[in-house]
Amino acid sequence: MEYLSPEGLRLDGRRPMEMRQLRAEIGVVPKADGSAVFEMGNTKVIAAVYGPREVENKTHQMNDQALVRCEYSMANFSTGDRTRKPKGDRRSTEISLVIRQTMEACIITHLLPRSQIDIFVQVLQADGGTRSACINAATLALSDAGIPMHDLVTSCSAGYLKSTPFLDLNYVEDSAGGPDVTVGFLPKLDKVTLLQMDSKLPIGILEEVMLLAIEGCKAVAGYIREVLLENTKQLEYRRGG
Amino acid sequence: MVGLSIGEKLFIQSGIAQDLRCDGRRRLTYRPLYVETGVIPQANGSARVRMGETDVIATVKAELGKPSPSQPDKGKVFIHVDCSSTAAPMFEGRGGEEFSSELSVALQRCLLGSNSGAGAGIDRASLCIAEGKICWDLYVDGLVVGSDGNVLDALGAAIKAALSNTGLPRVHVTVAAPDGEQPEVDVSDEEFLQFDTSGIPVIVTLTKVGRHYIVDATTEEESQMSSAISISINKKGHICGLTKRGGTGLDPSVILDMISVAKYVGEQFMNRLDSEIAAAEASEAE
Repeated sequence: MEYLSPEGLRLDGRRPMEMRQLRAEIGVVPKADGSAVFEMGNTKVIAAVYGPREVENKTHQMNDQALVRCEYSMANFSTGDRTRKPKGDRRSTEISLVIRQTMEACIITHLLPRSQIDIFVQVLQADGGTRSACINAATLALSDAGIPMHDLVTSCSAGYLKSTPFLDLNYVEDSAGGPDVTVGFLPKLDKVTLLQMDSKLPIGILEEVMLLAIEGCKAVAGYIREVLLENTKQLEYRRGG
Repeated sequence: MVGLSIGEKLFIQSGIAQDLRCDGRRRLTYRPLYVETGVIPQANGSARVRMGETDVIATVKAELGKPSPSQPDKGKVFIHVDCSSTAAPMFEGRGGEEFSSELSVALQRCLLGSNSGAGAGIDRASLCIAEGKICWDLYVDGLVVGSDGNVLDALGAAIKAALSNTGLPRVHVTVAAPDGEQPEVDVSDEEFLQFDTSGIPVIVTLTKVGRHYIVDATTEEESQMSSAISISINKKGHICGLTKRGGTGLDPSVILDMISVAKYVGEQFMNRLDSEIAAAEASEAE
């Protein structure tokens, strides 16, 4: 399969350093305290935040900070072949943990002691980069819920095929067997909060690929900021401001 | 959901008794209905239905399979519903399993008829390709994204819309095979057959609160119900399935009355749903 054509185009017509089209919408689940849909190309996820609310299981309650919980699940129809178990399998458990740790580091938990914040992420369509889309959706949902955060967390993935760094891999490129580096980034603070990689990569190339992923994160942050600003303008307009 | 105070409960019950519900609706009025089709492009057919804050997605995936030996001239349809945790925190982990199973079974009863396939709302004979050898297996998946009451009706509407949106590739049997062997088939990439959904019923749930029935109850109103009956009704006005929920006993005459009310309401809902589906397909085609 020709991941990079002689003209320098990828399978879906993008350039190696080009991200997929982003689309986000806030407030899609009215019952939740905060919610958002985030699309990166064909990958589509919904995030809903319930909280801060009373802790359900008093044994887990923390007196000096909020308890952050996260659940990742994939819809039956999200992948090409129907998955039988939407949640509870090892991959979902691992991704739930990853998202929880990433968001927890970013939420100012000591402002909300003895409370619980639930983040639920549901994948509707999976086409590579679901982890990143989930983190981006969770950031938007937490903002919609008004939960205090140190910074926006954005995430993007990058790979290395045909001796070229590729930004924002889709499912086909991810299945090519090359490395897949996922980065979670705090744009204002300029810090990396999540770094994961699978497959193998020469150490000298890692920096280049990681920096490319960080550039992707910054682009996502710019888009998220636009969406939040537009949302705030709408709220102000509806309030008669 | 936060608990209701006694004052709130009385408010809901008296409102229903006076034909003026909390959101201003009358007893037999539905919430605004929004239908979008083709929301999941990689499925053969898909639809998203919103009624108030209740938000459900239904998809249809078709795979080639072998008919069951007891019904060689019919295809197979499997219906499965999942409740996403985004709809309510209590659906986290295995919390939504009970509700999902209840919905799946109710939908199967309403749309698929009995085990022998008789009286099914969905015409399974049209799914047969080569009798006894090859048929279509339709996997209908429902996902509850937002839950504010009347989820069963919304799922029924979404499944009907998703089936309207479903295009089955045309299959030619290229090499006929002797008994016991699978024939070779050629699955067309260009030609699609639209699934015929005129016989598919809609589901109408009537919730009894006090002495009156309401249609399209919200979660708050459902918490005040004594019992509920879900009836699936097709275009001809025939009943395709019936489920009673709730522990309180109902006088048989009350049930018959509820059925006739459901038939009346169902006809209007079916017309509205059909026009919404047509509008959704038209805007998707643009």
